[in-house]
Amino acid sequence: MITENCSNMVDISISKDVLVIGAGSFGLQAAGQIAAQGYKVSVIGAKTACARQSGCTSEMLEKGGVNIMQDVSIEALAGVVGDFRATLTKNNEKVESIFGAVVVAPQYSYSPLNAKYGLTLNDKVMTLSQFEAIISSDSEKMKAIQNGGEGGAGANVAFLMGFAQEGEPLLTGRVLKGALAVQNMKGCKAYIYAGNVKVGANGLERLFTQGRHAGVVCFKPSETPKVQQGTDLLKITIKDPVVRSDVELTPDFIVVEEGLVVDKQNLDLCAKLRVDTDLDGFLPSNNVHRFPAKSNRDGIFVVNSSLDATNAALRVKELIGDGTKKVVADRAKVDENLCVICLTCYRSCPHGAIFWQNGAAAISPAACQGCGICASECPMDAIQLGEFTDESLRANIKDAVVSAQATQKDAKSEPTIVAFCCKNSALEAFESAKLFGHEMPVGFKIVKVPCAGKVDVEFIMKAFVDGADGVMVAACHEGNCKAERGNTYAKWRVNEIQKRLELMGFGKNKLTFTTIASNMAKEFACKVNDFAKSLEG
Amino acid sequence: MIVAERKPFDEIRNMVKGYKKVLTVGCGTCVAVCLAGGSKEVETLNAELNLAFKKDGIEFGAHTLERQCDMEFLSELDAKADNYDCFLSMACGAGIQFLAERFPEKPVLPAVNTSFIGVNLDVGWYEEKCRACGQCVLGMTGGVCPVTMCAKSLFNGPCGGTNKTSCEIHKDQPCAWLKIYERLAGQGRLEQIMAISPPNDWSNQKPRKVIQPGYEERLKAMHP
Repeated sequence: MITENCSNMVDISISKDVLVIGAGSFGLQAAGQIAAQGYKVSVIGAKTACARQSGCTSEMLEKGGVNIMQDVSIEALAGVVGDFRATLTKNNEKVESIFGAVVVAPQYSYSPLNAKYGLTLNDKVMTLSQFEAIISSDSEKMKAIQNGGEGGAGANVAFLMGFAQEGEPLLTGRVLKGALAVQNMKGCKAYIYAGNVKVGANGLERLFTQGRHAGVVCFKPSETPKVQQGTDLLKITIKDPVVRSDVELTPDFIVVEEGLVVDKQNLDLCAKLRVDTDLDGFLPSNNVHRFPAKSNRDGIFVVNSSLDATNAALRVKELIGDGTKKVVADRAKVDENLCVICLTCYRSCPHGAIFWQNGAAAISPAACQGCGICASECPMDAIQLGEFTDESLRANIKDAVVSAQATQKDAKSEPTIVAFCCKNSALEAFESAKLFGHEMPVGFKIVKVPCAGKVDVEFIMKAFVDGADGVMVAACHEGNCKAERGNTYAKWRVNEIQKRLELMGFGKNKLTFTTIASNMAKEFACKVNDFAKSLEG
Repeated sequence: MIVAERKPFDEIRNMVKGYKKVLTVGCGTCVAVCLAGGSKEVETLNAELNLAFKKDGIEFGAHTLERQCDMEFLSELDAKADNYDCFLSMACGAGIQFLAERFPEKPVLPAVNTSFIGVNLDVGWYEEKCRACGQCVLGMTGGVCPVTMCAKSLFNGPCGGTNKTSCEIHKDQPCAWLKIYERLAGQGRLEQIMAISPPNDWSNQKPRKVIQPGYEERLKAMHP
């Protein structure tokens, strides 16, 4: 584990109860694995899988290790990691419970995509969900597949996927499983027509190989197959790029892919939990800095697969431990005398770490990640980061300018440039640029910040006041910020100051915003050199 | 809350031009909450001014008070005032004037425009809700203010300019009286829309005073 270089540690107590939202297979798997570690788990949400098959033992279910609460929903979630206060409702009755951690196993609905193939659903053409329901039953329809082929033999079933949408690994898994099930029925044959195939999940390669060995035929045409749907005839035509001719198949049944749908319920849940989704509304938001199963809020985990369930269980154990946790006390502190509870910090915090009590904002030391967005947005400068106080940053800016000017005395006159470097990306890029010997202007100095979100408007202006000719704000790439939005805030601020500089008659080119990754040493040096050149010109 | 916006930089620059020592005074209440005049804005404005007046050698000081609309807090500046030849206030119009009253011999310049009484929709986003007309009718109008929301501040129903749910001034401006109708209908008290509100006493448009109930006696005693 990463250890913090801070002296000021405090113990906080963490509730050993865990809430799992979503009683599908993955949610129940997470519940079982967390309960196996000795924590009490409450599971809410629509139950769509068998608890025992998902790894919850009879002992857990009977002795309350895993408490599956039917028809209970979550109305609100207050508090922070270790001390989440969930308001749960059932038939208009409300109860507040405390949980140390929350695991979300999102349950999305499916939308049929047959129309995108020009197909109408009927006995012969079905959605993946309909097909799954049929083969897990003993119905007439199941018999139709078993004996639906020519002369009462097994049927030919074609699966269509990846042409009507981008797709996701879960869909790939369902199609591969379905095809294998068909192929394993006596006399039946399965064909898969795949466009875009998402295979980035555990076990998919194995499932694919299993299918191929069993005899499943896979086509990956470059264009969407032509599908004809007559009264008695289904026909799929694709162009084979190797033999350069059409390949036709007349299957007895067609199974069409489905899209996952983010509905209002999913989004409402995210809003209640204050967890971010990705651009399409799915949980969690993408962030390369986070370990699997983690969300933007500490203590809230997201589970979308069996692997996620295991990861979430490990993270929960790491978090709760024996119920006490050492945290840095002064990562971010509110000066209660200065705070005017304008709620700006509460609204800006990407980690949901801020709440208010006794007439002032308060920051949970357990949930705070120390990005400093709140401190930079606070209109009263009432928030100070332990490691990056405003005072120390102002001093660093001054030092950077002074030392940049000092180095120039014996060199030719070059512009003085101060770059605010996010420690997660630009700082690393700068250090390796130095290490690799990439040349940068002599008048270039950096100021380390915990996140570009901690670059105040005032700091940028101060660098100019102190004598910088140019200021650079170097943040993580878009969508790559450890604090989700720190780079966005920084960009907004730079845009605003550029406007102000123009109004003041200084021109906006003295200030630049750039994004960089930690491994882009050469690019970093290039950007700095280009900026220096633009200042000279 | 009172919502204000910072003035364009050029306007501020022209105002302070010619002074030698300027104290920028922030206010830690409404204008801090609406991100226009708290200590952060004071520091930022001073940095901009320092940059703009580098050659002129103007000195800019900073002081943010709890509230500029209370003289107990203004008194914090008494000791400092002599060091400056001008104040640049980032408070609302009330605070600026009270500061000017406290130091009648000093020029007090406004750095913000006081916009309105409004609500906070999100960080940095505010909407006007109240015109402080002094004759509140929200009880009859389902909590929707016709003075603020209706372009004509009509007290008794819409005018002929209501147009497919919008006001005639702009399609994005809903008709206040439609909103009032919907709110009252939703609460099942639509019949109240028929009640007539008497005209407001607009002649009372001199500076208004509010004495909160229970404080009349105290004021009489303290300020005979």
